[in-house]
Amino acid sequence: MVLSAITEFAAQEPKIYALIIGLIAAAILASVINVVAMLLVWLERKVMGDFQARYGPNRVGGRWGVLQLGADAIKLFTKEDVIPRGADKPVFVWAPIVAVATTMLVAGALPFGAVIIDGREIPLVVANMDISAFYIEAALSIMAISAFMAGWSSNNKYSMLGAFRGIARMIAYEVPMGVCVISVAIMAHSLNVVEIVQAQQGIWFALAQPIGFVIFGIALITDLGRMPFDQTEAEEEIIAGYNTEYSGIRFGLLYFQEYIVMLLGSILLVHLYLGGWNGPVIPVISFISPMIWFFMKLVIVLVALIWIRVSLPRFRIDQVTDLGWKILLPLSMVNLGWAVAVGLYFA
Amino acid sequence: MTTANDVLAALQSAFPGVIEESKVGPERQLWATIKPDRIVDVCKYLRDNHGFDHYSGAVGVDRINEGLFEVTEMLASHGSHQVVALLKVKTKRESPSVKSLTGLYWNANWYEREIWEMLGINFEGHPELYPLLLADELVGVWPWRKDFLGYPDYTTADRAIEKVNAEGYTDYSFRPTEAEIKAGTVPVERPKYPTFREREEMEIKGSSEMILHMGPQHAVVPGPFLLDLLVDGERVKKAFLDVGYIHKGIEKIMENRTYQQGIPITDRLCYMAAITNNEAYCGAVERLLGIEAPERAQYIRMILQELSRIQSHLLGTGEFLTLIASAVYSPFLYMIIDREDVLTCIESVTGARINHSFVRFGGVRNDLPEGFKDMTLDTLKMIREKTAEYKDLFSSDSIYQKRMAGIGTLSPQDARRLGVSGPPLRASDTPYDMRREDPYLLYRDMDFEVITRKEGDSKARVEVRLDEILESCYIIEQCLDQIPNGPIMAEGVPKKIKPEPGEAYYRVEDHRGEMGFFVVSDGSDKPVKVKARGPVYAYFQALPPLLEGVYIADVVAIAGSMDACTSEVDR
Repeated sequence: MVLSAITEFAAQEPKIYALIIGLIAAAILASVINVVAMLLVWLERKVMGDFQARYGPNRVGGRWGVLQLGADAIKLFTKEDVIPRGADKPVFVWAPIVAVATTMLVAGALPFGAVIIDGREIPLVVANMDISAFYIEAALSIMAISAFMAGWSSNNKYSMLGAFRGIARMIAYEVPMGVCVISVAIMAHSLNVVEIVQAQQGIWFALAQPIGFVIFGIALITDLGRMPFDQTEAEEEIIAGYNTEYSGIRFGLLYFQEYIVMLLGSILLVHLYLGGWNGPVIPVISFISPMIWFFMKLVIVLVALIWIRVSLPRFRIDQVTDLGWKILLPLSMVNLGWAVAVGLYFA
Repeated sequence: MTTANDVLAALQSAFPGVIEESKVGPERQLWATIKPDRIVDVCKYLRDNHGFDHYSGAVGVDRINEGLFEVTEMLASHGSHQVVALLKVKTKRESPSVKSLTGLYWNANWYEREIWEMLGINFEGHPELYPLLLADELVGVWPWRKDFLGYPDYTTADRAIEKVNAEGYTDYSFRPTEAEIKAGTVPVERPKYPTFREREEMEIKGSSEMILHMGPQHAVVPGPFLLDLLVDGERVKKAFLDVGYIHKGIEKIMENRTYQQGIPITDRLCYMAAITNNEAYCGAVERLLGIEAPERAQYIRMILQELSRIQSHLLGTGEFLTLIASAVYSPFLYMIIDREDVLTCIESVTGARINHSFVRFGGVRNDLPEGFKDMTLDTLKMIREKTAEYKDLFSSDSIYQKRMAGIGTLSPQDARRLGVSGPPLRASDTPYDMRREDPYLLYRDMDFEVITRKEGDSKARVEVRLDEILESCYIIEQCLDQIPNGPIMAEGVPKKIKPEPGEAYYRVEDHRGEMGFFVVSDGSDKPVKVKARGPVYAYFQALPPLLEGVYIADVVAIAGSMDACTSEVDR
């Protein structure tokens, strides 16, 4: 009876129905992303501990320390919220919100795997846009703006240096990253992420465009601001960079946003280069077999990111921009030419 | 080979009548009292004609009974000979003034400034006589003078005057007492270190420049010190260094304790180098007493000092790596783990992991425990393997190479001029090692190589440290093979130590460089004056010129490669 009422309503008011469905989907998405990102923080601390011959969190929530993050969140929520005297208050307050909101923009267009129902593959994506790869790429760049807002409004020298570094780095790496996305789109004949994944049923683009894969990987780490590219918050040089003045839950949001972006960026990498959820169908649980492949690839990418973080020293800011402009950009152009040639040959 | 007698003879013929008193001490030391107005000429002559190109420091002593201040300049040579010249200058207590050597030796600056602020001896021709370690308010108190009664007034802050400045922060200042004004011990115009705002006004020229604090609270600093960087964008144009945030007055404290009570205090100079600090102090007092430790005790001291060098280099390198990487950089934690095993070896002998207070006048506290040899050899084997692994890792890490090669390059001439010692000096192609230059204990019998590098950059400094770990392993193995049986304390060392009146200077190769103790005795059970000449003090002084023109990120790569310890600088 409820079902029939809903279908009736959908038929009468299609726009309002779409809005409500969209809101529900967005709510589910936001909560799932946040929970998974929390797990990611835990994963990173645990894996990092293993790499460094120590335990990582092992007190709160039993032997594995699974509730450590809950404890940290409670601490951040209950801490005093300090806004410095000289800060530009509205910008300062909005920066963390903008940071987290942009991650949701990305999440909306990104497929989170797929399920197989009646032999048909249904991608789990909220907004399946035709230009989603381009859109995600653009939305990821807004992240640098939020970091700049935070750094500039804090009225702090370290924050400002961090913000400047962030912008310089973003400009240097968005270009090769964008060229890589174009190369992928040329081979897949589409800018839609779902179609890009489906185009990799034969061969992964990581194998078809190895140069592009490496460039995109480096540019992605830069975008995420992780070692060896964490110049924006190099604690040994500029305290904590753009979030030096933040405390309490505002700092919590900025910190947490980094992990959400790490998750989303890894998903994007899996989709563009590692064949997304493609993989042989596992017989008994064929329903979720794409999900299994997707998660395996995702975890491998995430652990690789953590591995890189604990084992490499940091670049200097001029070396970072040098690498971006002088090496990655020309190489990405080579990769573009390769993609065009191969694409024409197979087309 | 030049001996102290040769130098003395040359001085006497070049400057007849200028040398008032002279003595050739043990271990190639030349002690001479020079007429105050000729000290600069004598030093210039020694520097230009006899290779005394290393200014090792200066000591101020208050001889209140004679109404005199003594300033002893310590000169040595980077390798052309092994003579240490200790040239004394005397000046009247009423209007103390000595000629400054800053024109001859660049690094005389800080040593003279410290003597000025502590004893009130004016140095003629010194370019910047303002406080180094003390707070501005305490200048004019002259705390190292023997007639200084302590400053209860200053510590209770009863007299501190609160004043809210224009920016809304509270400043405290002290008014001189009437007695002080009457006695004339307080200068009316106190020289001041420029405040931050004053410095901004003086130095900032363009709109893209600003002054950036690094410290006293900053992730980069190993202890509190202030490094102000005048930056233009990402480039450092000039650096200003201010130390003295944890000045503990260790030297003054030791004047008020008996000789034995001084030993645990030397531990606290720098916890990474507790044993070498003990050694330097005890060695100086042993020279005053004219005793020598038995052979077995000397071997034990050498073993522990080399073990301590290994752990210090491991932590120094590891800590430094966190500065160019991040706090989660794995090799740092691996080094900490290795270091724990070395500390366990040390602990099995001394009973403590960090502050050992182990060395005694004329011996050591404990003998080696049973099974020490096997345990140490196992640890050394592990350390050798791990060190080889680290060297391999760093040479293959291209980001590391990019960050470190050609950063903070010190040419051999500059390194000598700036007065650095230890690994930074050896990384600049100067094989200057106290274990060879001024052999103490039984190092003259040991077979080891003084590690040097040609490049003089941060990378070379780390390489020198890692190679020295291997050399130390080799020395310990030799010691363990050769160590004889016998007593561990010299006979006839009295319980209550009262050395004959006199002075002694003893220097050792600390993990960071040249560590010397200058002890003056007047025949009582307390030293008249103890001066610790530390290696990090010299590094710190050399830091600002090194930082000009580098990137902000390189500041930590340079400062960190020096392996600093603020506690020892401030004492």
